[in-house]
Amino acid sequence: MTNQPQRSPRTASVSAADITGEYGPFAGFDRIHGVTFDGNQVWAATGEALVAFDPANGEVAHTIEAPSDAGTTFDGKHLYQIAASRIDKIDPSTGRVLHSIPAPAEQGSNSGLTWAEGSLWVGQYRNRRILQIDPADGRVLRTIESDRFVTGVTWANDELWHGTWENDESELRRVDAVTGDVLTRVQMPHGVVVSGLEFDGKDTFYCGGAASGKVRAVRYPKG
Amino acid sequence: MDSLIAASARALAAGDPLGALRLVALREDPSALALRGIAMAQLGDFVRARDLLRRAARRFGTQEAVARARCVVADAEVALAMRDLRGTTRALQSAAALLASHADLPNAMLARLIVARRLLLLGKLDAAAQALHEASAPGAPARLAAVHALIATEIALRTLRIADARYALAQARSAASTARVPALSAEIERMGDALMRPAARRLQRGAQHALNLDEAAALLHSGALVIDACRRGVGIGNVWRPLATRPVLFTLALQLARAWPGDVDRETLIADAFRLRCPDDTHRVRLRVEIGRLRTLLKGIAVIDATARGFALRPTEAGDVAVLLPPIDGERASLLALLADGTAWSTSALAVALGVSQRTVQRALGDLQAQGRVRAVGLARARRWMAPPLTEFTTILLLPAGWAFG
Repeated sequence: MTNQPQRSPRTASVSAADITGEYGPFAGFDRIHGVTFDGNQVWAATGEALVAFDPANGEVAHTIEAPSDAGTTFDGKHLYQIAASRIDKIDPSTGRVLHSIPAPAEQGSNSGLTWAEGSLWVGQYRNRRILQIDPADGRVLRTIESDRFVTGVTWANDELWHGTWENDESELRRVDAVTGDVLTRVQMPHGVVVSGLEFDGKDTFYCGGAASGKVRAVRYPKG
Repeated sequence: MDSLIAASARALAAGDPLGALRLVALREDPSALALRGIAMAQLGDFVRARDLLRRAARRFGTQEAVARARCVVADAEVALAMRDLRGTTRALQSAAALLASHADLPNAMLARLIVARRLLLLGKLDAAAQALHEASAPGAPARLAAVHALIATEIALRTLRIADARYALAQARSAASTARVPALSAEIERMGDALMRPAARRLQRGAQHALNLDEAAALLHSGALVIDACRRGVGIGNVWRPLATRPVLFTLALQLARAWPGDVDRETLIADAFRLRCPDDTHRVRLRVEIGRLRTLLKGIAVIDATARGFALRPTEAGDVAVLLPPIDGERASLLALLADGTAWSTSALAVALGVSQRTVQRALGDLQAQGRVRAVGLARARRWMAPPLTEFTTILLLPAGWAFG
């Protein structure tokens, strides 16, 4: 562990999460890891399969059999999925794995995954940090330290957000992508945990609900 | 939760402990240690499993109290599988309370079922029944409901409430078929077989016939005066006078009951009770003293009349006298019958009860232990012996559960 500067929580604005919708649990799948949004459908990683549903009505459109143990993301064309110790690049129309890279190793507890500006960003749960990696070969480009266990990660426009989860307490946090300083905290109700996290590009976060088997929609905080 | 932990838990749930181990073998964080512990337990290495689970519990920080409590429950379950009944259940009880307060009701229920089973193994039937009552949870997962009903069956069996046992067994069977866990269904079938097997023999006017548990229970509740050589005592209805620690008195009572309604001559009584062939006058005095003690113990349910050649038993209220013998003969049968009362016996108490030397008891126990029919708790002077319950449960641990450690 490196020496970290003390971060004052008073600088961050704190609010309670405004949960606007709940999806699932989906028949046959009892937990949700990563989530992503392809512009039309929400994709949720369940361990054995990726489930795509319509956020308008929650109906499952299709599923792809794929080992899916943590974060999921969409780069505009392909899905990326963390499976055990690798990241698979998947064609969403066929479910075929096109390419795989090793997930960041070094006792990594890889959890969340998102795509932005040509890079993959990997949240490491117990290591409390976010890595920026090269999607071609998995090389680590940058490390952002956090002071909480990091679950899902996502970019909301030019803001970096990540989920935290410690002992049935979860928050969505906006952090400074350079220093890791916490800028905004959105608190989930007690017992509602966030595994995966995704911003829909407009006003909504989708949050994977781990063992609840649910995906929840949370409004982007005002102010 | 991270990908390797999720993948490892997925492998465990799919019944692949080796695959689960492979994914987290080199990791030392508490979630990985916990999953390695569960995998080792599924592979049968209980000692290593407990070490891993305890290390995991220590490493989970105060921010991860739920994960820590799950480790405590898993460790207790492995301890139960090892029949390590040392220590208290305090940690387990507080883990149950914490899990319940965090809405992890299945694991809270599991913790309480472990407490009940532990008490049952120790033969503390009342406490086990109380713990089982506290473990009840509406809407519990089927596999836990099945285990709950199995424990209820066993408590009912050991207190000879056979109808209750059958009812609980039927509940266990239906829950187990919902849960679809083969090991659990097998346990229930074994328990069903135990209900059918001969449980005792009744001796009546020189003839013997086998009784199953129903018939034995019916006899015990029939209002007859029952001299019970299985549990070593004399009973009528709800009255029970234990003679397990008074072997001479029990032998006398048994001889008198066998001869009922006739009498038994003094020489026979002396030879049997004192194990002597050539009695003299001092033994007749001793016999009188022992008969006096037996009269005191049986006061209110039977009297012992002196006859010209010896003594005769006369029940004061019951119209009938029945002798109940263990289902099989021999010293080991009575040893098992003694242990079947559910209490933990010391070797010296068994020797007193059977009227044989401690060495003889130790030899017999050694053989029975090798056959897995009795087990010991504690060491040296504190060692106590117990017969297994009517069934040996497989551990709930071996069932794939929703293990989530972080």
